[in-house]
Amino acid sequence: MRWNGEEYGGMKGKIKNPLTKRLPRELVGDWRKYLVVCLFLVLTIGFVSGMYVANESMLSAANSGVEKYKLEDGHFELAEKADPELLEAIATGEKADVKSYYLKTAKAELDDAFEGEFNAEFTEEFDAEFSKHFEESFEEQVKESLLSQGLDEASAIGMLPSAIAQAKESGAYQDAFDAAYSDAFSSAYDEAYKKAYDEAWSKILAEIDEKYADAEEKYKLNDADFRPVPVSLYENFYRNEEEDHDHDGVTDGSVRVYLKTDDVNLACLMDGRFPEGDDEIAIDRMHADNVGLKVGDAITVGNKEWKVVGLLAYVNYATLHEKSTDVMFDALKFNVAMTTKEGFDSLQTPIHYGYAWQYQNSPEDETEEKQLADNFLAAVLTQTVTAENELTDFLPTYANPAVYFAVDDMGGDMAMGGVLLDILIVIIAFIFAVTISNTIMRESRTIGTLRASGYTRGELIRHYLSMPVIVTLFSEALGNLLGYTVFKDVVVSMYYNSYSLPVYETLWNPSAFVKTTLIPLILMFAVNFIVVARKLRYTPLAFLRQDLKKGGRKRAIRLPRWNFFRRFRMRIIFQNAPNYLILFFGVFFVTVLLAMAVGMPDTLDYYKENASDMMFADYQYILNSCEEEDGNVIETSNDSAERFAMTSLIRKSDAINEEVSVYGIEDGSSYVPIDGLSSLRENEVYISDSFRDKYDVSVGDTILLDEKYESKQYQFKVAGFYDRSLSIAVFMPIGQFRSVFGVAQDAFSGYLSDSEITDLEESSIATVITEREITKMCDQLDHSMGAYMRYFQVLCILLSAVMIYLLTKIIVEKNENAISMTKVLGYENSEIARLYLLSTTMVFLVCNTVSVFLGTLVMSAAWRAIMSSYSGWFAFMITPAGYATMFLFVLIGYLVVLFFDFRRVKRIPLNLALKNAD
Amino acid sequence: MGQGKHFLQIVDITKSFGSGDTKQEVLRGISFSVEKGEFCVLLGPSGSGKSTLLNIIGGIDSADSGSISIHGDNLKELGEKRLTQYRRRHLGYVFQQYNLIPNLNVRENIEVGAYLSDAPLDTDELLHTLELYEHRHKLPNQLSGGQQQRVSIGRAIVKNPDILLCDEPTGALDYTTSKEILKLIEEINRKYQNTVIMVTHNEAIQNMADHVIRLRDGRVRLDERNTRRISADALEW
Repeated sequence: MRWNGEEYGGMKGKIKNPLTKRLPRELVGDWRKYLVVCLFLVLTIGFVSGMYVANESMLSAANSGVEKYKLEDGHFELAEKADPELLEAIATGEKADVKSYYLKTAKAELDDAFEGEFNAEFTEEFDAEFSKHFEESFEEQVKESLLSQGLDEASAIGMLPSAIAQAKESGAYQDAFDAAYSDAFSSAYDEAYKKAYDEAWSKILAEIDEKYADAEEKYKLNDADFRPVPVSLYENFYRNEEEDHDHDGVTDGSVRVYLKTDDVNLACLMDGRFPEGDDEIAIDRMHADNVGLKVGDAITVGNKEWKVVGLLAYVNYATLHEKSTDVMFDALKFNVAMTTKEGFDSLQTPIHYGYAWQYQNSPEDETEEKQLADNFLAAVLTQTVTAENELTDFLPTYANPAVYFAVDDMGGDMAMGGVLLDILIVIIAFIFAVTISNTIMRESRTIGTLRASGYTRGELIRHYLSMPVIVTLFSEALGNLLGYTVFKDVVVSMYYNSYSLPVYETLWNPSAFVKTTLIPLILMFAVNFIVVARKLRYTPLAFLRQDLKKGGRKRAIRLPRWNFFRRFRMRIIFQNAPNYLILFFGVFFVTVLLAMAVGMPDTLDYYKENASDMMFADYQYILNSCEEEDGNVIETSNDSAERFAMTSLIRKSDAINEEVSVYGIEDGSSYVPIDGLSSLRENEVYISDSFRDKYDVSVGDTILLDEKYESKQYQFKVAGFYDRSLSIAVFMPIGQFRSVFGVAQDAFSGYLSDSEITDLEESSIATVITEREITKMCDQLDHSMGAYMRYFQVLCILLSAVMIYLLTKIIVEKNENAISMTKVLGYENSEIARLYLLSTTMVFLVCNTVSVFLGTLVMSAAWRAIMSSYSGWFAFMITPAGYATMFLFVLIGYLVVLFFDFRRVKRIPLNLALKNAD
Repeated sequence: MGQGKHFLQIVDITKSFGSGDTKQEVLRGISFSVEKGEFCVLLGPSGSGKSTLLNIIGGIDSADSGSISIHGDNLKELGEKRLTQYRRRHLGYVFQQYNLIPNLNVRENIEVGAYLSDAPLDTDELLHTLELYEHRHKLPNQLSGGQQQRVSIGRAIVKNPDILLCDEPTGALDYTTSKEILKLIEEINRKYQNTVIMVTHNEAIQNMADHVIRLRDGRVRLDERNTRRISADALEW
């Protein structure tokens, strides 16, 4: 066959595909659309890239800080300072021999008390018995003596009383008594003592067996999986002091003051220097930023003025969680600080005897870490019990939110940012796909000609995929460039505003590359490939005939006898249904984001405004003990005070071990007025609304709660709910509480009061729970995220405008011919707008209304899922004004776009329809 | 492709559309042959099946029965990929609608065809032949209908196809422009020795053809060689 190009002066070499020359012209020709798409992608990719780079770099700094700053593997706290023997015993990680301890203690107690008690009891009993026997025996002896003197029986009996009286008078009776008593006592005592001692010991042994059986269960003494966990122990003592940083004499918050140490839990110096003098203090950098303190400022801590010489980031306080059960850290009202030993000693509040541990053999993974912590807990518990000390706190690092919260949160942010990017890319990809699909429809005959001329389907697919891929690649390159420079700093400043993290170095991040470059490209390619390949599956002839509808031509849907305009609009809606569907998804996506941007401040406002209603008492004073050292019950003269009992149990689940406050409430309580509380049966309880909401508990359900440090489980049946408690709490009568937890019948934990109790010794108060417990979380969230939420709202308006712009542009472009034809027919622009733009507006309003509710539902579910992995609970709230705001924000975006759409409709030329007519 | 007796051999082609009562037989046993370099015209009224036949020859439609062979190779035996390659290597298409790419200029639209060939014609030379050299930087919407059709012919011919298939190439053009296009096709046929198969309902065009096939009701009513071929310039209608 003749096919020799040379014969006809053929060109040398293969020419480049001329179709590629379309791409820059298309970019220039439709620059507004591509600019919007590019900006959209660049900003999103840039922000996510920045987030990944910042997170990974900061996480890397935090991870390397674990070793550099000697992060503990956990810490525990004792009621008394541990002696060296106890510390040595704990450091072995071995469990103490509790049974030997019980036996030794019992033996000592028995030996100590038995003899005295036995002597008194034996002597009294013996004396009574002996006297009785001796009387009878002495009478017999006297009688025998009288008979032996020749008296007959009757005479001897008759003389007996006088003979006995005479013997008593002469002392013979007493001599005989003494002689007999001494012999009898001695032999009886020895015999009775041994018997009584043995009996007492047997009884004690039985009691110890029972007690040990309890201990076995509580401390898992017979745990076959137990392995000793040798650790290194470090003193990590601290004091909780009051802080006044604005010098107005009013306490602004609390500060946990640590001694400067080089052993464990070191601090990264962010500014200034470490304290050297006894009035110098270094404080947490984030707290300082939040309250406006800087190096050189003065601060009052524990009624003493200090000079702030340094700003720190403690490795074990990446977030300022005051307690491990706090839902949220509190960088506004809680601070950690470092002083010299002299400075520390000058403070007055009681020292907390905290001890940090590090495993000698580091665990391989989290599972092993949990196992080690469980075993170590058993060792610490048994050793403290046998050393007659008390374990008041035990917190492995993996369960310490001050350590893991920032890392988890940054990980969560990355995951969420990644998902948002994926969703946005998919939406943009669909917008591209619909645009290309319309282009293919419009260029159908050209495509048919090209296919008929020999262009393969693959070549055309590649051609139509080029634009989204090029735009994506360009946006990714620019986005990543901005991510590594501008946005990284934005994210870093966001995190430094919330977390107390050490200094970091920017690291090249492969996962950022995958997330912000590979995955978006794959998503963009995949979505468009599926749509384009499907669209180009038709034969060349089908393209030439413009016969690209599957299943032939559609029949018109029958419509009611409405007026013309109404019917026309309905036709437009039906005709553009696929585009409107994408419009719905776009609007829906924006409303989900808006639900967060609007709902978060709404939720915080709600909790801040209603905090007092959610407290059953303005003050909850929890005492160290209900008795003073001298055994007297701690009383108050405050008339509003009411006793209550409280303990903490754990609700175990795969997601989280949630701390549950269990309250024992007095009958007829004025603070927890639950009808029928006093008539609850043995294991029935009320639970807080938060508990019900978080764990979806119903009346009649059984809840299982475990002791915090011991292997003991409680089972309660839910009898009802109590709505004035934000915490995860259980309520029962105080009598039932005492019986369930085996405490004394008059024991209590503290006082509830609506006014401040001033007559309690400070040293006797363990903690005071006030409204701040609720508001501090809201304040912190508001401080950390409030401003961002407002930016986010503006971003959502822009996002909605961009998305609606791109989608309505497609709809107008798709209908250009028809619009042009209506112009030819004599319709005015306003009439055309009533037909085409009003149709879109109607659909948009429906989409917006439905999306506002659906978006809120989705956000609410997402919120629930997020909160489930944290301690505590607060539900997602959105006010009616919030719904209106969401609707309005998207509407603003639409109205802006509507203006441009109307201009676009006006600019469609009359001759377009005629030009394109067959 | 193998060597056959005729360059293009069409044997007993049938084609129908629809089924049952609506079945419409468009081609009812069409047979004829075309020689290499021949200018062949398919004539017939609307609905006679001439465009369908052209599409089947072009491999963008398939026959229900019968065979089409080019140099002895049967098109029916080619799968979709090889059919595309067949079109790519051996065919050029010109339609009544120009189907140009609106955002490519004249030269680039022609290069769209050149890209498909390993040895395309020289584009500049072709532009001169097409009398489009001066317009080479213009976009299609800046050209007249005749100029646009010239571009579409250039796009088809630049890859130097064995067969140039033209489906009513002058159908949308006025008399003068139509004649210019016909002259161009004639010149190309002469210059490059491509086999040209043109579908038209214009009876006058048969006078410039080497070979005339007249179809009616799906059958070949006339199959004759034109011994008194005249130039396109001399055509009148």
